[in-house]
Amino acid sequence: MLCDAQRGPLDLVGTNVALRQMVPNVSTLIGGIMPARRIFSISLFAFGVAALSLVGLARAADSDGGDAAAMKEIRSEMRQLREERKRDREVIRSLEVKVQQLETKDSRVEATTQQLQNTDQKLKETTLELQQTNAQVKTLQTKVEAPIASSEFGDAVSRYLGTHSFTVAGAAGGNFIYDNQSGALDGLHHTSQNSFFFDWEPMFLYRPTDWIMFEGVISTAFGSTGTGADLSTADFQIFLNDYMTVVAGLFDQPFGDWYETQSPMWVNRFVTAPLPFGAESVVPGGEIGVQLRGGMQFGALGQDFDYTVWGGNGPNFSSNVLGAAVSSPSAVANGQTKGKSIGARFRIYPLPVDSEMGRLELGASTYNGEWANGNWYNSWGVDFNYFVGNLQARGEWMESYRQMPNGLGADNRQGWYLQAGYFLSGLNVPGLPDKLNGYLHRFEPLVRYSGVNQHGVSTDDIAGATGVGQGGFQVGLVPDFGINGSPATYAPHAREVALALDYWITPSIVWQNEFDIELPRAGGLFVSPETGLATPAGSIPNDHAFLSQFTIGF
Amino acid sequence: MRKIFAAIVLATLAIGLAGAPASADDNGGAAEHRRLFREGAQLWPVYCNTCHNARPGAEKAPYEWDLIIMHMRTLGNLPAGDVRALVEYLKAR
Repeated sequence: MLCDAQRGPLDLVGTNVALRQMVPNVSTLIGGIMPARRIFSISLFAFGVAALSLVGLARAADSDGGDAAAMKEIRSEMRQLREERKRDREVIRSLEVKVQQLETKDSRVEATTQQLQNTDQKLKETTLELQQTNAQVKTLQTKVEAPIASSEFGDAVSRYLGTHSFTVAGAAGGNFIYDNQSGALDGLHHTSQNSFFFDWEPMFLYRPTDWIMFEGVISTAFGSTGTGADLSTADFQIFLNDYMTVVAGLFDQPFGDWYETQSPMWVNRFVTAPLPFGAESVVPGGEIGVQLRGGMQFGALGQDFDYTVWGGNGPNFSSNVLGAAVSSPSAVANGQTKGKSIGARFRIYPLPVDSEMGRLELGASTYNGEWANGNWYNSWGVDFNYFVGNLQARGEWMESYRQMPNGLGADNRQGWYLQAGYFLSGLNVPGLPDKLNGYLHRFEPLVRYSGVNQHGVSTDDIAGATGVGQGGFQVGLVPDFGINGSPATYAPHAREVALALDYWITPSIVWQNEFDIELPRAGGLFVSPETGLATPAGSIPNDHAFLSQFTIGF
Repeated sequence: MRKIFAAIVLATLAIGLAGAPASADDNGGAAEHRRLFREGAQLWPVYCNTCHNARPGAEKAPYEWDLIIMHMRTLGNLPAGDVRALVEYLKAR
């Protein structure tokens, strides 16, 4: 429509141009001298032109009317278009706003997504680091827990120290004994009351190979007669195989448990020894000779059986009188020993470790030999030890037969002890501060009952045990061989109740306090080796003794 | 009596000679060390406390335990396998 409206005026201009081209220079023709015919022609022509012009104008007028309508329509359409465009623009603007908002949101989402991705990446990195750390920790734990590391370290130290190794163990203890009995047995010396003592028993271990070892223990002390020393044990230990060990030399008597395993100061729960292993021994405390010994598992873990057989120089006695003390190893080599001794001990541990019923030991021992050129000495005994949780109980019973020379009646003896102790580590007193409960846990109260029956006691032995008479070397054995200062311990029928309270500072450092109640029974004889005089012991007064000892096991 | 003693000695010799060679340092692999360690940890509070308070392995240097465990093996007549487990445990603490 717009093109048609513009074409009208153009057509009129075209007509005028065409006419001008058809009538060149008309004014020039009119102003000159022309014939009529020509004038007529010209007039006619002019008329025609005018007519044509009028027709053209008329037609042009008609055409203008249609164009105006069209233009109006066009304008209307244009207005609509403008309005539509305006609306479109508004829509577009609103859409643009929305797009911008969406773009903003999208950018936020993208930022959040990026952050999440970053966080995820960091998490992955952290997880990886944690995994690596865990792996390192596990590796370290494995290294720390693996015994091989310590073994390797130990091997390195062993290589540094050499193939021959040496160490010192043993124990030391300072003790105080108080016995308020003013008098001893009639005519006998008594010096062990209200006195301080000190014992030091170093044990030397030398190991040239992994199957040979030397062990030596020296008992030294400051006792009733000053300082003294005694060679307790000195032997080679040769481990032939898993089931057999040879021990050769001077050793503790493997009879029962006490001499071998319970006599060290820091091991013995009491300050003194039980009566059968102390002042009036039923079986000698040591021997010099050869042992074969070993142990094996017969069932589950913890179910063990062990044996010890040995032979040695044989028993000896301080004199030929009734009740003479069985000598310590130091006095073995004298003329009284003719035959050699033999001994055997067997023990069984019937409870498996997994049963958690504790550890029970049942044992039987025998020791036999000839003394004084053909007189027999026989002894036998049984023992038990039971340990579970905080409770431990042990006991032994033994009996000996001593054939006497010159047709005298046999010198038979019996001895026993039974003891029990309970660690207070499981006891918590309500209301008591934790610190005090902690101290309480270190206490172990104990009780022991022991006794000896024999026909007589040598008066020289009583004097010798206190360092006054013969056997002054026994100074090193005070009081760990049962000498508590009480003369009643030498009664032929001695009885003793010992109460103890141990305070354990560490597993091998202990402060021990012992209160002994001597309850000897009447009967028996005191015999003098010099004169042969036998005096009925009669009723020996009861007595009490107190001992306190600080001991370190090392 | 002597015949009995001779019989006992012969019997113990027969048992002993039939056993495996003695070795306190029988080295196995790492798994064997771990097994011994676990077994030693199980035995330590039972075997040691039977006679005296069980002493921590840290009290002594590892090489010292080699000596002390031989002393204890003799006194306690401990089975050789249990001794290896105990020393493994004591040295590792």
